[in-house]
Amino acid sequence: MSTASGFIKAIESGSKHLVIRRFTFRYPEQKLRFVGDGYQFDPKKGVGIAGYRGRHILMHDKCTGCQLCAIACEGIAEAIGMVKVDENWKQNKKSIMPQIDYGKCVFCGLCVDACPFYALFMTNDYELSSFTKEHLIYTPQQLEVKPKYDGSIELIITDRGATHG
Amino acid sequence: MATLEEKIEETRRLGLQVVKETEEDRLMTLSIGPQHPGSGHFRFTVKVDGDYIVYCDPDPGYVHRGEEKMCEYRNVIQNIPHLERPVIHDSTNVTYSYSLAVEDLMGIQVPRRGQFIRAIASEMNRQVYTLYWLAIYGIFLGHSTMFMWPAGDRELFIDLLERLTGARVTHAYNIPGGVRNDMPEGFKQRCLDHINYFEKRLKEYEDIFYNMPLFRQRTEGVAVLSKEDAVKLGVTGSVLRASGVPYDIRKVEPYDVYNEIDFKVQYMKTGDSFARSYVPFLDMKESCHIMRQLLDKMPQSGEVRTKLQPNPKGPAGEAYRRVESGRGALGYHIVSDGTPKPYRVKISVGSFRNMLALPFLLVGNKLADMPAVYWSLNYWPVEADR
Ligand code: SF4
Ligand code: SF4
Repeated sequence: MSTASGFIKAIESGSKHLVIRRFTFRYPEQKLRFVGDGYQFDPKKGVGIAGYRGRHILMHDKCTGCQLCAIACEGIAEAIGMVKVDENWKQNKKSIMPQIDYGKCVFCGLCVDACPFYALFMTNDYELSSFTKEHLIYTPQQLEVKPKYDGSIELIITDRGATHG
Repeated sequence: MATLEEKIEETRRLGLQVVKETEEDRLMTLSIGPQHPGSGHFRFTVKVDGDYIVYCDPDPGYVHRGEEKMCEYRNVIQNIPHLERPVIHDSTNVTYSYSLAVEDLMGIQVPRRGQFIRAIASEMNRQVYTLYWLAIYGIFLGHSTMFMWPAGDRELFIDLLERLTGARVTHAYNIPGGVRNDMPEGFKQRCLDHINYFEKRLKEYEDIFYNMPLFRQRTEGVAVLSKEDAVKLGVTGSVLRASGVPYDIRKVEPYDVYNEIDFKVQYMKTGDSFARSYVPFLDMKESCHIMRQLLDKMPQSGEVRTKLQPNPKGPAGEAYRRVESGRGALGYHIVSDGTPKPYRVKISVGSFRNMLALPFLLVGNKLADMPAVYWSLNYWPVEADR
């Protein structure tokens, strides 16, 4: 190919993008939508259910305080500590539940795989930043709250290019 | 103006020694890196004579994390998240070869659907890595459009991987015994849509970058690595294929379902910087073709994972398995003494081997060609240091 036609082709293919739809979106106002409510694990079948791996959610009525999640995380990030809670559940005699330090957690989800009682799952919430380190530690009470996450933007492919809409 | 003789006389009068300029004095030593001025966290010193590089000494190790030692204190499952950290853009391929080695060691069979899913995930992850690398290559040659485009189009595959694995970059998806979860609904159609669109984009990449006369002039004929030298230096991946050796682990040592897939090993004969940058591009094209076949041949339903014990352990022994990662052969050698924790893990990475070609290629080139040569090596400093 001659030099001139090489340049012309390059400019042509670049200038096409003046009319192609924008790929990016405005993040804090618009948010991505995820499939499902987050990563879950079915211990009976031994296989996970696809979903986004964000902050955890803890079912207080299911957790037995068996510490298997804390043991699983020991070699990964040591993010889980077992703490005493002021609640009386008959499946949880010792009244201990996991507390997660998001300053350490790497969101691998292997603690969810380790929980045999359907008590620990993950959610779509990824906005966890805080001004102090202490606020990154989520107590069992905080982990119980279902996050309010409403993302509606998806990657779609149209005739005029890929875009978020 | 004082003449030279007068100057020498003056110097002598002051009691100073007169020294003649030597050959050595012509050379200037430059330190490139390690604060990421386009080299990654990696330093190399070059000596330049005018514009030309006459000596190069790579000095890796700034991001050494002791991955191999860390493996000895964790069981085989807990090792997964930290092993993928050195090269987060290609994390599925890292855990792929690790899982293959552990499966060999423990004698685990992976269900057929699981094999297909992890092959698809690894192809996608290779695209993500190659696009990221291409973006850096573009910006270091001063082509900022080529930085924006691949960095944006990465999103096509990151979006798919996010749906499949639940994380955008560090997936922790492969696990000894298969994959952690099945595909979500409608995933196959979405994959095909994205692949079709991506193939159209690849044509535009060719127009704006690879066929661009400026890019060609900067890379063609620069730092030629001959076939014999490439083999002797032990380079791997796209660097080896650019020198005319059609060597791809997926072909020479097919793992999982790759022996059922029909694909060609992409290679070029010239061995210059252009070939080294064009071969990964050809690989991306071929990878789209492979992904289509994988999606087509995949069983529609079935198990994806063999269940393991919580603290899995196998018999004492050793295993070595390799996969083709974005940077070439990536191998894990695991020695087990029968306990849940590996006795020794050795990681063999393509980045380190390709880096060894750097002094060989840089010497004799102009300093201004340094980015074109350095990035064409498809080298990831963090992975090389492990
Ligand atoms: S997601 Fe991983 S790092 Fe985070 S608490 Fe669970 S096991 Fe630990
Ligand atoms: S969350 Fe699950 S694994 Fe962790 S203590 Fe409760 S029941 Fe046990």
